Amino acid sequence: MRKITIREAIREALEEEFDRDENVFILGEEVAEYNGAYKITKGMLDKYGPKRVIDTPISEGGFTGLAIGAALTGLRPVVEFMSFNFSFVAFDQIVNNAMKIHYMSGGRFSVPIVFRGPNGAAARVSCQHSHNVEPLYAHLPGCIVVAPSNAYDSKGLLKAAIRNDNPVFFLENEMIYNMVGEVPDYDYTVEIGKAKILEEGIHLTLISYSRMIYYCKEVVEDYKKKGIFIELIDLCTIKPLDVGTIISSVKKTHRAVVVEEGHKFAGVSAEVIAIIQEFCLDYLDAPVKRVCQMETPLPYSPPLEAETIPNIRRIKAAIEEILVGVK
Amino acid sequence: MTDKNNYDQVDIYKADTAKVIAEMGMDLSLKMLDQMLLIRHFETRGEQSYQQGKVWGFYHAYIGQEAIQTAITFALGRENNLYATTYRCHALALLLGMSAESGMAELFGKKTGNAGGRGGSMHMYTKNMFGGSGIVGGQWPLGIGLAFSLKYRGIKDEVAVVFGGDGSVPQGTLHESMNLAKLWSLPCIFVVENNRMSMGTQLERTIANPPIAANMAKAYGMKSYTVDGMKITDVYDLFKHIKNEVTETSQPVMVEALCHRFKGHSISDAATYRTKEELEEIKKQDPIPYFTSLLKRYCGFTEEEFEQRSQAQKEVVMKAVKAAEEADFPSTDTLEEGVIIE
Repeated sequence: MRKITIREAIREALEEEFDRDENVFILGEEVAEYNGAYKITKGMLDKYGPKRVIDTPISEGGFTGLAIGAALTGLRPVVEFMSFNFSFVAFDQIVNNAMKIHYMSGGRFSVPIVFRGPNGAAARVSCQHSHNVEPLYAHLPGCIVVAPSNAYDSKGLLKAAIRNDNPVFFLENEMIYNMVGEVPDYDYTVEIGKAKILEEGIHLTLISYSRMIYYCKEVVEDYKKKGIFIELIDLCTIKPLDVGTIISSVKKTHRAVVVEEGHKFAGVSAEVIAIIQEFCLDYLDAPVKRVCQMETPLPYSPPLEAETIPNIRRIKAAIEEILVGVK
Repeated sequence: MTDKNNYDQVDIYKADTAKVIAEMGMDLSLKMLDQMLLIRHFETRGEQSYQQGKVWGFYHAYIGQEAIQTAITFALGRENNLYATTYRCHALALLLGMSAESGMAELFGKKTGNAGGRGGSMHMYTKNMFGGSGIVGGQWPLGIGLAFSLKYRGIKDEVAVVFGGDGSVPQGTLHESMNLAKLWSLPCIFVVENNRMSMGTQLERTIANPPIAANMAKAYGMKSYTVDGMKITDVYDLFKHIKNEVTETSQPVMVEALCHRFKGHSISDAATYRTKEELEEIKKQDPIPYFTSLLKRYCGFTEEEFEQRSQAQKEVVMKAVKAAEEADFPSTDTLEEGVIIE
């Protein structure tokens, strides 16, 4: 199978959906003439023209609300946030309009819209440019949140997101745009709401998503050499959470660690752990641990940044704490 | 109009009243009058039901401002064009086809309501009306999105209209929306219904450089009009003109309709910021007696006919109240339905 980067996979998904449905368009800062701040939309202006590949001024509240208005009439906008940090400028539009109008109108209108862009910490971009937005948006009813970790899922989930009739947050990560993965030539989508078991194991379930999956994979490989087999779950979709996959795995392994790039308090890991205690309490041999970003704004200085974001050392330390009794 | 807000320095659009009445004709005029009466009775009975504990939450009445949205929707066309407005949304929904039953049942939180009891007073909809936005200024970007959609789909004979009060003018969303609308030549009409009150804060304490439309539109290279929103004929004539202008040029326009709301910001607002005498003075400009007087003067309309028509609309509303009272609440089994489209 051919191998492409996540960046290319996202572009392929956009182009294929552009080809399939003329109601699909993209707008955002620098998406057209500049070819995208992260080159996701490279070449798309030439291919589809300025009607469908639209440069906006720096005006998130305005263009996000515009896209929501357009979606209400049946168009299918893809809103690119140069970074999801900038979505906060449009927070009211996203929360009060995109996420509420379907329910609030008694089902009269739907908002088929995709909000996409890089999420989470990049490299040394400091406190205001490093947010993980998934718990903020996933907290509220009326949306879908996906955060793929590889090229195959990025392409398939973005295509599914564009075809979905709900507001979908498609969370990318700048640090993994160049990760290469196998992607088939044929048209496919990846089902929203399904987690994937990347590695089967028996001793412990490690649950994560997006960029953190790469740290987790290293950890899993290291333990494998010691004869400890960790089951690795890539959530892929944060909301709706694939509760079944999590439960089945933890019932089998009896131990779990959740790794989340974002903060600990009221985060995605808190939700996953609540689910585990609700459905797997009698199966647990140890407390469920979580490895998250520390409770600080994300500092600029490299050693501080490296420590606040989950890293392999901290993931292993959490695993060690609850491996007592295994071997 | 007071000088302190510079409204004496702006051209107020004035129509030839006799000519407009003649153009509208008796049939249309009576239809418009009926709609104004429907709105007035609907709001009156809605508030009454609120006082009786049958309607809850926020209730923002459109009483006093009826001429504006009635004239605009009739001038532009109620079957097509795309509309969005504020939480003061009952009138626009009624004008665009929501039945009194459907609206009243929504206020009562019943399953037969306009939004099945999920939206309430601030969130009413029709096929071409996209809310009912509860956050002040939240509707402006949606409005330009409607205009964007018309342009994207190549629909050239319709416009998008987005309403807001003077209270939503200081919100950044309006400025962003005006900039985008002009930048992208979107067929959008921004209507500021200036009742001079942001809840309880007077215009001179909220707007740095009034008059609103004349000064703001200039900043974005947009055309603007200011009109007396209490005079239905002026607003109607203006919007007949604007419709042609916007559809021909695909350029946005800003309109400021000067008006008064006779009630508080919402039902819980006792409006202590104005005196009884001030309110009595304002009520002399009531758009319904004004329109009626024109029909009497130019069309031989009589007080008796007025009373009959008012009574007829009142009965429509009373029937709606009764139906709303008798209707069932939505089953709690349906609570979680319609959050996400499966």
